[in-house]
Amino acid sequence: MTILTVDNLVTQFFTRSGVVTAVDGVSFDIKRGEIVGLVGESGSGKSVTGFSLLGLVDQPGRVTSGSIRLGGEELVGKSDRDMRAIRGARIAMVFQDPLMTLNPVITIGAQMRLAIRAHGAVSRRAADERAAEFLTKVGIREARARLSAYPHEFSGGMRQRVAIAIALLLGSELIVADEPTTALDVSIQAQILDEVRELAAESGTALLWISHDLAVVASLASRVLVMYRGKIVETGPTSKVLAAPQHAYTAGLLASLPAMATPGTPLSVFRPETMTVERPEPVALPPSPSAGQPFVTVTNAVKHFVPSRTLGDKIAAKITANPGQPTVKAVDGVSLTIAKGETLGLVGESGSGKSTLGRMIAGILAPTSGTVTMDGAPVMEGGRKAGTRIQTVFQDPFASLDPRMRVGDIVAEGPLAHGLTNKSDRVAYVAGHLSRAGLDPGLATRFPHQFSGGQRQRIAIARALAMQPEVLVCDEPVSSLDVSIQAQIINLFLELKRDLNLTILFISHDLSVVRHLSDRIAIMLNGRIVEEGITETVYETPQDDYTKRLLAAVPKLSAAA
Amino acid sequence: MTGFLIQRLLQAIVIMAVMSVIVFAGVYAIGNPLEVLLPPEAPQDIRDAVIKRFGLDRPLWEQYGLYIYNLFQGDLGRSYIYNEPVLQLIFGRLPATIELVLTSVIGALVIGVPLGIWAGYRPNAFSSRAIMAVSILGFSVPTFWIGLILILTFAVNLGWLPSGGRGDTVEVLGVAWSVFTLDGWSHLILPATNLALFKLAIMIRLARAGTREVMLSDTVKFARAAGISEGTIIRRHVLKLISIPIATVFGLELGSTLAFAVVTETIFAWPGVGKLIIDSIQNLDRPVMMAYLILTAGLFVTINLVVDLVYALLDPRLRRRAAP
Repeated sequence: MTILTVDNLVTQFFTRSGVVTAVDGVSFDIKRGEIVGLVGESGSGKSVTGFSLLGLVDQPGRVTSGSIRLGGEELVGKSDRDMRAIRGARIAMVFQDPLMTLNPVITIGAQMRLAIRAHGAVSRRAADERAAEFLTKVGIREARARLSAYPHEFSGGMRQRVAIAIALLLGSELIVADEPTTALDVSIQAQILDEVRELAAESGTALLWISHDLAVVASLASRVLVMYRGKIVETGPTSKVLAAPQHAYTAGLLASLPAMATPGTPLSVFRPETMTVERPEPVALPPSPSAGQPFVTVTNAVKHFVPSRTLGDKIAAKITANPGQPTVKAVDGVSLTIAKGETLGLVGESGSGKSTLGRMIAGILAPTSGTVTMDGAPVMEGGRKAGTRIQTVFQDPFASLDPRMRVGDIVAEGPLAHGLTNKSDRVAYVAGHLSRAGLDPGLATRFPHQFSGGQRQRIAIARALAMQPEVLVCDEPVSSLDVSIQAQIINLFLELKRDLNLTILFISHDLSVVRHLSDRIAIMLNGRIVEEGITETVYETPQDDYTKRLLAAVPKLSAAA
Repeated sequence: MTGFLIQRLLQAIVIMAVMSVIVFAGVYAIGNPLEVLLPPEAPQDIRDAVIKRFGLDRPLWEQYGLYIYNLFQGDLGRSYIYNEPVLQLIFGRLPATIELVLTSVIGALVIGVPLGIWAGYRPNAFSSRAIMAVSILGFSVPTFWIGLILILTFAVNLGWLPSGGRGDTVEVLGVAWSVFTLDGWSHLILPATNLALFKLAIMIRLARAGTREVMLSDTVKFARAAGISEGTIIRRHVLKLISIPIATVFGLELGSTLAFAVVTETIFAWPGVGKLIIDSIQNLDRPVMMAYLILTAGLFVTINLVVDLVYALLDPRLRRRAAP
């Protein structure tokens, strides 16, 4: 039985610079209890489609034509008052970041009560009972007592469960889930995907699962809609679409995934201008240098963050016999080596200490105890980073580039300070490194905000390369990028590996990206390395229990095929 | 949290100690009180007697030590001019200032926050633009001038309200108050309005900025997606989320208004502490100046401490520090 029919939906934004058509004639339907995946990259219009269903498109946008019928009832053109009765009761929504969606200053119970009472007068007692029942359903223990807890007292995964419970509270026929597991760790994501599948089957609630992650959709949805530039370009049973994509964009997206290619080979790149997929020639990488002499050596490194205690805190600790905040053991005794020219992948979930270890290796953070050396010399001297031979590329290219500096100045700043170039040569020097990172050197006079995310990450890479480093520490450098852009940056790293004989520490939570680039990988958990070895060996025959669980939790494209 | 409060208390003690030294040295530096206390033709032996009586011949540090010693005995000295204990003098005037300040600051809060929320909720509406235009006036026009215009309009031309004084007062808990009589209110309303305008403008701007930000947040989108009405969203979500900066500024404004309501008190002849301090500076009445400045410092420290406690009430994440 079809519960939702969307026909030729158009949603437009009336901005000062003109009309932007975010959703451009989209049609689909969803049956009772069905899980439908809506896939696309940022800016494809997939989120706006979701918001359109609830009548929640932000100003200056609105649904301008088409129809949305929920169980035969037309929703387009309904008053806001009528839509409010439908939202939360018949169509509910779950958002990406549970940190942002739940109100931090109101208890979970009060937030759930608000949602229940928005659709009818219910006694506090009855509302609490209902709230506790649904919290239990999504796997929160002692739900009754947890009603008086605030969001910050829950972990990220638990918070998203609370949000899902709120969406289920009033028995909605359809839940629109907008990237609900993107902000979560793989193992938590796997649990939530399992639970959602069960809940949907049990309650007959249909799900529109919006995601950029094809693998997640593959493991969950029976049918998939692929969206590109406001249009649905392909639709069909998930297994069929993934196995034999009909549209060039779908094919391009799939070909861009590291998981679909042989590790170490350049990835296919989708060119939206021509709607074609470019398959680069395989490059011959040098044989794995892992057997060589250690170049970077970490010996028994420890980093403990001791909370700073004021005199008042100390007195309070004495009076109340409460020791206050505990010391955080971010890195708790790690030893590893990286050979010259080798790429070591460092994998772990949030809070595992991988970034802290990366910052110690980069010479940005001093270890509490233990040593980090490169080429025999310590990476830090007198509390400061020693030399320029190690450079870092960070995750977020929006935060890591100074918005008030021109790109050329960003790249030239370090080399000028360290005498690697001079005022007269700097333009040519910057141009060389920009083109090395795949950017047009003519863009050096622009500001960072004039570039897309992928181009900015190239700028960050050019800035690191301009220091002529021997070691590159990359902390989640492709995590914030769309799949097709991610493929281009991964290819850039492969080229750099081949041409510059760089030693790379590649930190990521994404196992398929790490597998594609690394000669060797190390897996971190709670500040320690639990397993380390040649990449393919670890992936094929993991020894440690945690590694096994981690690998099993990764959603696979083949699951549906 | 406990540790934080203890730390704040320790800081408060240090601040008060430093403040007392600065105030004492500063007051000592401005002029010789003998010129006020004695007529120019007073003979030398009377001069010496007065110097001895007020301890003015002793070294500065000794005078300071004696002052602090007496302070801890609850003795802040006697006014040179009124020849009354200073504490009695100040506390006699304080209720007038407190009722004026509380009326204006609470009025600004109760009127300003809803107006600001509306202006933030509907930033493009005509009413919102009008509210913002008025708030700019509140910022930019000097207080004394508005005070004069208020008197000119409501007291002189229309004759509706009195132009100065406290009017009838009632004794409650042994203190005289105007807020409990109708005549008192008619005297209170003009100076309170005058004092409130600037604060009103700040409250409007703060509430508006906070509301604009919160309305775009995922929290509000999620609440809307659950079918919660706009009114409930504003009352239950927005109001609480924007309250922290408002509490901060409310505390600061309360303190500074209590201490420096001088201009308004002068214009409306309101017999509060503001007028007392101006008189004591003119007369070089050292004990009154000292006591007033130290009390003001204590007042600020206390208000800041209360604001910190209010933070913890408003934001549960700050209470977390107490958890092991």
